[in-house]
Amino acid sequence: MERINALRSLIPSQDLTFLAGVPYVYHCHHYNLFHDQTIDDALGEELGTKVRTIAARNAFRELIAALSTELRADTPVERLQLATDLFSWMGHGTLKLSVDETGGRADGAFLHYGYSWREKYGAKVKRSHPADAVAAGFAAAATEVAFSLPSGSIEATEEHCIALRDAACRFALRRVNPTPAPREVNRSVVEPLLGPVFGGMEEEKITAIADGLRGFLRGVAGDERGLVQAFGVFVSMHLSNYYNETVFEVIHHIEREQPRSADVAEALFREAGQVCVFHTFGNILLSPEWEGMVGSPSGSPAEILVNSCAIARGLGFGHWTIHEYAPERQFVLRTPSNYEAPFYLRRYGRSDKARCCFLQGSALAMMVLAHRVKWAENPRLTQDFYISLFRGRIPWRVRQPLCPTRGDSMTEIVVSPV
Amino acid sequence: MAQGFLEHAVVGVPSIRAVFITAMPDCLLYEAWVREENSEWAVEDVASYFGDLVRANRHGLKALGSWSSEMQTTIESADMLVVLKEITSDFVCGCVFERGAPLGMVRLHLKRLLERILANLPSVHNEERPRGVRIVEFLDRYAPDPHAVLLRVSLRTGIPIDALKAAESMTADQIALMEESACRLLGLKQLNI
Repeated sequence: MERINALRSLIPSQDLTFLAGVPYVYHCHHYNLFHDQTIDDALGEELGTKVRTIAARNAFRELIAALSTELRADTPVERLQLATDLFSWMGHGTLKLSVDETGGRADGAFLHYGYSWREKYGAKVKRSHPADAVAAGFAAAATEVAFSLPSGSIEATEEHCIALRDAACRFALRRVNPTPAPREVNRSVVEPLLGPVFGGMEEEKITAIADGLRGFLRGVAGDERGLVQAFGVFVSMHLSNYYNETVFEVIHHIEREQPRSADVAEALFREAGQVCVFHTFGNILLSPEWEGMVGSPSGSPAEILVNSCAIARGLGFGHWTIHEYAPERQFVLRTPSNYEAPFYLRRYGRSDKARCCFLQGSALAMMVLAHRVKWAENPRLTQDFYISLFRGRIPWRVRQPLCPTRGDSMTEIVVSPV
Repeated sequence: MAQGFLEHAVVGVPSIRAVFITAMPDCLLYEAWVREENSEWAVEDVASYFGDLVRANRHGLKALGSWSSEMQTTIESADMLVVLKEITSDFVCGCVFERGAPLGMVRLHLKRLLERILANLPSVHNEERPRGVRIVEFLDRYAPDPHAVLLRVSLRTGIPIDALKAAESMTADQIALMEESACRLLGLKQLNI
């Protein structure tokens, strides 16, 4: 897999990461499941699954095509092999493709979404629709690229899913009429959309930690199951184009069809950011790997904010900086780059409102984690603990005064008392 | 109610580890006593689950034509013996004994214990609370992400979040929508509330 690993690239001053020029980030299963759940809450299970599958197909088509070109995978069998290797390497599980230019079938094992859903929710809820739209979209994309088919000409449907208590995951792929590919979002189009670089408080420290974390993550890849189990969570290396297309398609749909619910959808996407910071950032901070690299958290709120910005940069979320911080009172996060705004600008152009829900929720959660968690006591970051922190009245609110989608040169998030 | 009456009621009952009294039909904790070494137990959760279990048992036995109000449920788990009994139409009592306690001895002491408890329970005139309120409570108890469940229901149904928070005032149409949404969130065909 070293040849794929070698195709990673970084815009160091902006902390954005790319694989074969396609933007990627790391997210844990708690975030991924909450994200997908919100898509389905907004659109219903049927349309939600469709939107998620198409977004995954679009995102991975761009990546698999770019990798095939870079690595000179010319024949269908080479491309399919490359795709299945890639899938496992990114921590999405194991996918076996039995396809030709008319479609076929795919078999999944340990799929990141279905497997982790079963583990997290399986004992509590009976699921009625399959969980692996990302794997379905990936299988469709791999087939399209392998056989040089036009965009959107393969449709994949998950027919069996372990989240539905089936024995294994299985997908049916079939040929359909092609649909035009959306505008590509890759390094060459993202770069000109980024704001001028600046630093913030504790810049050197944040940069050093972020570099260390990125170095660590370079060595992280799927295990024999194709899963990345690290920091007490299942981690996926994922395409931000997937997250962005699903979020913005949903929000635009809600703004058109059910405008009174737009605030609710945005609140849930902010919540997803909170889920990410609590589970991923929190578990990284408490991990032995972090202890070895940076040291155990001392419990200082400022230190948690510094470390959280470093983690965000290491995960490819952008050049998060602490612009202003007053204990318990105010936290202003600024960044010239994040993974949401450039996508929006490229796909949809300017907006009349701020669009970075993930970043908003993340900043709020950083404030909560900094001030309400007793880090020195090495707490267990359970779901119950999450609920106790975020349920009900949080003493801070979050707003986004500046957003590149409105023409600003940076993103600014302000967390201040209610 | 004489608060803490359970502490007196369990005096002289050997092998007893905990007592939970659940107010029905809402399956809410009314009173509990737990031996000190089990103080980490989430008593409210346990009381709710016990209430649900007794209700499900009642429905199941009724479906079999075999229910009577004198029924009690005994659960023999690896390290405890649990006896559940509907002591009045308003209260369920769950008694947890050490696993090694002889069943005959348990039954003997249980009878006395329940008599003492019964003497301390009030008679309740239940008001039928609005269905919307009960659905919200049900979701709060069983939804996988209870902190976000009202937002999720709001997004699914289009019912404003403020209306969901004031569920007692919801219209019949809104309640039907919310109930359908709750069933989907929980993977249930219907809500037995």
